Amino acid sequence: MPQFEARSVAKSFGGPPIFRDVTLLADRGLVAVTGRNGSGKSTLLKIFAGLLRPSSGRVEISSGGAARPPDRCRRLVGWSSPEVEFFDELSGAENLHLLARAAGLPCREEDVRARLSQLGLQRAASRRIAEYSSGMKQRVRLAFSLLADPPILLWDEPFSNLDEDGTARGMAAVEERRSAGLVLIATNDRRDLSQPDAEVVLS
Amino acid sequence: MQKSSFLSAAIAVFSREARQELRRRTTVASVLFFALAALTLIAFSITTLAIAPADRSRLDSGMLWILLFFSAASGLPRSFVREEETGTALALRKVAAGETVLFGKLLFNYLLFLAICLAAVPALCLLQDWTIQRPAAFALALALAGYGVTMVSTFLSAIVSRAGQKDLLFVLTALPLLMPLLLPAVEATARAAAAAGDLSPYWKVLTAYDGLVTCGAFVLMGFVWEG
Amino acid sequence: MKILKLALGPYMLAVVLAAFFWPKPARGFIGESSRIVFFHVPCAWTATIAFVVAAVASIVHLKRRDDGSDEAAAAAIRQGFLFSVLATVSGSIFAEVMWGSYWNWDPRETSILMLLFLYAAYLFLRGAISDPERRGVFCAVYAIFAAFIMPFLVFVVPRALASLHPQTIINPQGRILMDVPTRSVFFGSLAGFTALFFWLWSLDRRLERMKRRRRALE
Repeated sequence: MPQFEARSVAKSFGGPPIFRDVTLLADRGLVAVTGRNGSGKSTLLKIFAGLLRPSSGRVEISSGGAARPPDRCRRLVGWSSPEVEFFDELSGAENLHLLARAAGLPCREEDVRARLSQLGLQRAASRRIAEYSSGMKQRVRLAFSLLADPPILLWDEPFSNLDEDGTARGMAAVEERRSAGLVLIATNDRRDLSQPDAEVVLS
Repeated sequence: MQKSSFLSAAIAVFSREARQELRRRTTVASVLFFALAALTLIAFSITTLAIAPADRSRLDSGMLWILLFFSAASGLPRSFVREEETGTALALRKVAAGETVLFGKLLFNYLLFLAICLAAVPALCLLQDWTIQRPAAFALALALAGYGVTMVSTFLSAIVSRAGQKDLLFVLTALPLLMPLLLPAVEATARAAAAAGDLSPYWKVLTAYDGLVTCGAFVLMGFVWEG
Repeated sequence: MKILKLALGPYMLAVVLAAFFWPKPARGFIGESSRIVFFHVPCAWTATIAFVVAAVASIVHLKRRDDGSDEAAAAAIRQGFLFSVLATVSGSIFAEVMWGSYWNWDPRETSILMLLFLYAAYLFLRGAISDPERRGVFCAVYAIFAAFIMPFLVFVVPRALASLHPQTIINPQGRILMDVPTRSVFFGSLAGFTALFFWLWSLDRRLERMKRRRRALE
C-alpha cells in the first residue's frame, strides 16, 4: 500500500505564506482538510496531487520501495476539484476516455462507462458535456478522479452542486475506498465527512 | 512511461485537437485567411517594383517566410492558450506528462503549418509569377524549417499560455529564437526555387537546428508543465 | 574585493586614454575610427558573457529554486541588455563611418541584434508573469532554451549570411596583425569591461536582494 508523506509543506504566491508546516503521514483512511475560505485547502490538495510545487517542504508517495513526488506517480493519485473543466464538444464518456488514454492507461469503453455508472451517469454518458448540468459535471469530475482506480484519492469540495443521489454515490465511493486506501476530502461542510480518521486544519 | 504508451498518449492528445479542428475549423480557417490577406497586401505593394530575375527568388522567399512566421504566430499558440482559458489544461496536467502533451500538440501544429504552406505557396507563386524550379528541394526546405518553427512555437506557447499579454509575448519571445532558423530557411527556399547554388550546407543547418530545439524543448518541458 | 572595485575606475580611465593616445590608428580604416575596436568588441564580448552567466544561473535556479539564482539570472540579463545596446550602437556608428550606412546586415551586426532581441524578450517575459515562483522557472527555462540556440547565433548565422553578401567586413579583429600597443589596449579593455560587467552584476543582485528583504518586512 502506498504511503503518503507530506512534510512541512508551505506555499506562498509572492507574499506571506498561505499556510505552512503542513505535515501528514498516512497510508489509509479518511482525512479531512478543513479551514475557512481562502485558507488554502484547494491549493494544498493541488500540491498533494502534484499540480503545484510547494514553496518549501516535501510531498512524496512511497510505493514499492521508492519515494517519488506525486507528479512522478500520477496513476497512484486521483484528484477532483471544481476547477476541473472538460472538453465541451465531447461527451462525458469521450472525455474520460481521452483523459485515460492521455494518462497512458489501458482503457476500454466498458471501463469508462462503468465509472460513469458508478456516479449515476449511465444515460448521460453519450451526451456532450456542454449539455450537462453543474451537478452532472461534478459527477464527471468524481468519475475522472477514479479513472485509474488510485489508492490515494484527493477530493476538493466533492459534493458541491450534487443532489442527494449524487452525494450518496460519492459517499459510498469514499466508504468503499477508505479502508483499502487513503481519501482526503477538503470541505467547508462538516456534513460531507463521516467520521474522518484524521483532520488537517488550515487557518 | 513506456515508449508505446507515450506514443499512444500523445496521439490521444493529437487526435482530440484534430477532431475539434475538423468539427469547427476555426483555427485553420482564420489562419489561412490571415495568410492570404497578408500575402495579398505584400504582393500588391511590391508588384510594380522592377526586380532583377536573379533577386526575385530571394525576395519571394523572404516574403514567404514572413508570411509563414506570422501565420504560425497567429495560429499555433492557440492549442495551449485555449486549454488554459477554458480550464481543460488542469485535467490534462493531472493525468499526462508534459512531454506527452507537447508531442501531441506538436503533431497537430505541424500539420497546421503544412496546411498553411499548401495554401500560401501556390497563392504566392500565382500572385508573384514565381516558378519553383526544384520543387522537391523546395518542399524539403519547407518541411525541415517548418518543423523548427513548429517545435519552437509549440514549446513557447506552453510557456506563454500561462503568462499575461499572450499574443504580443509570443511574437516577442519567438522571434529571436526563430531568426537563426528563418535566415537559412529563406536562403534555402530561394536557392531551391531558383535552382541556383548548393543546398547541402542548408540541410545540415536546418537539421541541426531542429535537433537542438527538439532536445531543448523536451528536456525543459517538465519544468514548464509543473505548477 | 573593495580594492579591485576602487581600482576599476582609474583602470578604465587609463584604458580610455590609452585607446586614444597609445596605439596608432590601424591601416585600412578611415581616420581614427579603428579605435572603436577597443570599446565595441569588449561590449559585444561582455554581452555574450552576460548571456552565459544568465544561462548558468538559470540552470542553478531550476535545481535550487531559490531567489538568489533567479535574481542572478535576471541581473545578468539586464546588464547584458545594456552591453548589447552599447555594442549595437557603437558598431552601427562605426559602420556609418567606414561604409557610409548605419546598418549593413553584416553577419556580426545581425548576431548582436538578435542577442539584443533575446534580452528584450526575456525581460518582457519576466514582466508578464506575476507569480514569482512561476516567473523564476519560466524565465530560467527561456534562458536555457535560448542557450541551446546560441551556437546558431554565434557560429551558423554569420557563415550563412557571409555566403549571401559580398565581403564587406574588414575584420577588425585581426589579432594576429595587432602590434603591441594595440594588443595591450585591446586585451586591457576586454579585461576592464568584463570586470565592469561583473561589478554591475553584483550591484544589481545586491539591489534586488535588498528589495526582496524589504518586501518581506512589509
